[in-house]
Amino acid sequence: MAQEVHLNSLQELEREAVLQVLYRDQAVQNVEEERVRKLKARLQQLRWKGAKSAGQGCPEQRCARCQRGLGRLLNRGAVCRGCSHRVCSDCRVFLRRTGAWKCTVCFEDRNVKIKTGEWFFEERAKKFPAEGKHETAGARLLQSYQRLSSNISVVPPTPPPVLESQCSGISGRLQELGQFKGFNKSVENLFLSVTTHMKKLSKSQNDMTSDKQLRTSGPRRRAARSERRSLSDTAINVTTARKTSAPDILKPHVQESPQRPASPVSKQEDVPSSLSSSLLSTALRHGSLVSISSTCTEAGGFDKASVAGDIELALRYQQDSGTLEVCIGACRGLAFGEERKRRCNPYVKTYLLPDRSCQGKRKTAVHKNTVDPAFHETLKYQVEPDQLGTRRLQVSVWHVGALARRVFLGEVLLPLAAWDFRDHDSHSFRWYPLRAKAEKSEDSNPTPPNNGELAVRAKLVLPGASRKFQDAPEETGQLSPSCDGQLCLVVLGARNLPVRSDGTLNSFVKGCLTLPDQQKLRLRSPVLRKQACPEWKHSFVFNGVSSAQLRLASLELTVWDQALFGVGERLLGGARLGPKDAVGSLEPGSPSKVQWQKVLSSPNLWTDMTLALH
Amino acid sequence: MLGPAPPFAGRHRGLQAPSRRRAATIRAGPPPPRSPPGRRRQVATARVQGKMASAADSRFGQKESSDQNFDYMFKILIIGNSSVGKTSFLFRYADDSFTPAFVSTVGIDFKVKTVYRQDKRIKLQIWDTAGQERYRTITTAYYRGAMGFILMYDITNEESFNAVQDWSTQIKTYSWDNAQVLLVGNKCDMEEERVVSSERGRQLADHLGFEFFEASAKDNTHVKQTFERLVDVICEKMSESLDTADPAVTGAKQGPQLTDQQAPPHQDCAC
Repeated sequence: MAQEVHLNSLQELEREAVLQVLYRDQAVQNVEEERVRKLKARLQQLRWKGAKSAGQGCPEQRCARCQRGLGRLLNRGAVCRGCSHRVCSDCRVFLRRTGAWKCTVCFEDRNVKIKTGEWFFEERAKKFPAEGKHETAGARLLQSYQRLSSNISVVPPTPPPVLESQCSGISGRLQELGQFKGFNKSVENLFLSVTTHMKKLSKSQNDMTSDKQLRTSGPRRRAARSERRSLSDTAINVTTARKTSAPDILKPHVQESPQRPASPVSKQEDVPSSLSSSLLSTALRHGSLVSISSTCTEAGGFDKASVAGDIELALRYQQDSGTLEVCIGACRGLAFGEERKRRCNPYVKTYLLPDRSCQGKRKTAVHKNTVDPAFHETLKYQVEPDQLGTRRLQVSVWHVGALARRVFLGEVLLPLAAWDFRDHDSHSFRWYPLRAKAEKSEDSNPTPPNNGELAVRAKLVLPGASRKFQDAPEETGQLSPSCDGQLCLVVLGARNLPVRSDGTLNSFVKGCLTLPDQQKLRLRSPVLRKQACPEWKHSFVFNGVSSAQLRLASLELTVWDQALFGVGERLLGGARLGPKDAVGSLEPGSPSKVQWQKVLSSPNLWTDMTLALH
Repeated sequence: MLGPAPPFAGRHRGLQAPSRRRAATIRAGPPPPRSPPGRRRQVATARVQGKMASAADSRFGQKESSDQNFDYMFKILIIGNSSVGKTSFLFRYADDSFTPAFVSTVGIDFKVKTVYRQDKRIKLQIWDTAGQERYRTITTAYYRGAMGFILMYDITNEESFNAVQDWSTQIKTYSWDNAQVLLVGNKCDMEEERVVSSERGRQLADHLGFEFFEASAKDNTHVKQTFERLVDVICEKMSESLDTADPAVTGAKQGPQLTDQQAPPHQDCAC
């Protein structure tokens, strides 16, 4: 058997080998998640027990844990240092080494943190705040692999048949693989693209429209799917006991529903369910990679979406609190989300563009079975007044179908720049016709014309020897032999940045100096938290550059927003300084350009610049 | 003395020149191995052998996954140049087996082992990574999930030792800030072919702030100790992180405390 394997199938074998490891890992993870879920559920129970007593009004008189009454003289209880609740002597756990004690809940809380590995995730989040907490590299590889392979029309391999004999297992899979000649990517190429795409994976997958995929999968495909599933059932049932029974295949969709109330327990179930969903269901299989993130879903086409009707809106801006209030009145004459069944369960979703992050998303409740829903809800955004001009309000109407699939019913885009919030007429409700999705071109260029300004102070420091050439830098610059010049930059601050919905940013600046030989010198500033107009006053020093090099070099300064959770870094805008013929150099002859020339031609002098961010 | 190679150059060369232990490589690309001398039996393994090995492993999948009988789980990553003996080290520890044949790991692999430390059952998921550069994108994806690392070099292979610095940089880049690393010089049974003295290893480890072991997967020296020490230092980090993260429990700060019962973690020194 072994000898039959050809060399030219090596890469497929590699892929197979890695996939097997990934599936084994998945099995381990499933068990681990089950264990973690149990542990957390137990802790939650303990907490609830305590919570009951707090609701009874006089917690001082009772033990916060077992609710036994506490006496005035005897058995008075003591306050736990962890949670500041008064507990009786039976509800304390003494730590052997220190003699200190904690109440049962605090003790258990710590225990659970250890047992679940939560301590590690917390520690790790300090360095990688964007990292999904419990998501493992393997799970992501697997998920991305399945999406990628679906793109090149390959049936994801079945999980390893655990109890089958190795030989038949291999030959079966080889045959299966042989059928897909279109897939010739080697495993590392695949994973290279996987890892690069990983960054794009947003956590807000619940925004994903699975309707498109489901609609395209006719009955034939459904049959094929269930058939394939039954093939792998045996294998999976052995390893992942209960998670993969046939009805469960529907679960992931249900759990992705935005209307599902979030309970602590269901939250923890998300991980395994999304895993099994990607492993088994074909819901994601036909989705393109770009549709993974919420952003791109918004931009993606919805071929079958029919758009009709109007939406009633009113906008208000509360100057004192800096709150933009979007009052969703009603809709009339909506298209049916499911034309055939004449059914429509609409809800309204808004973004304050360009912020498409989950934090910037607001949704109304879902109204059942109506094409004329009356929402009467107010969605609020915290926005600085001077920010309003750069924002556009996107109001879209969606239908929630069975299995939480969503259908786009139309949208309205309101540029807020032209909006006169002082005009009281604009406070009243008005009807707007719903439109189809805006052109993609608009979304493909997400940077609005101006993303604020960056104030920079720059100085070229040349060693004393070359100072005498300063008077005629144009000529002598080329001759200057010294390579030990310094470009000093002080990034003072930025204004008018496209802030988040809460009006703040965790911003930092990256500086990249590209020398003529394509060598790149990179520096970055610390992150300033919670500021709309950050003042870093951070200095970048690029060492070992000559003025001749700098004349040909280009300097790129970019401002980024670091998210706490979820999406990683968001580019707010950037500016490039460089020679006139540099590709991508913005606005030749602009003030910043002149200033940059000044920096280069007058070494050892500070020059202040204000750069427009694009 | 430490001989930190120019970044990446050392490792790259190390990869190009296969170690004398390598009998067969798993890909068609790399230069053919030189004649394989040495007392270990060299088996020309087709890649299929690796394949079969992993197929065989999957039969144990049920065992490794279904066992819920443990208190907590640590993830450990073994890294180092190709052919320094990462896989052998893991097999020795997890299965107490040793094969002299060199089978290059494809991408990644893992084994699960439950250890008893300080009255706790700790399930270790030990990831074995491919040392070859071409798998680097896959292997580095696993750095973030690892609580501890075993960074391995081959005491008979200067290149692998020179690359240690680079590997440590990789850890710093891709892993969490408190990543615990043990530097292991493997194949210490091959004393007559040693080119990296233990003193150099120890100095490098000191320099990098790692603990240091010399070990032999073949002779089963210090294999268990390495893993157990790593588990202990992770435990220490864990207590530290819990005690500093939780200001409310400063009263119970002194000493590491996995739970109320805890043995002092320093019980076996390196080597």
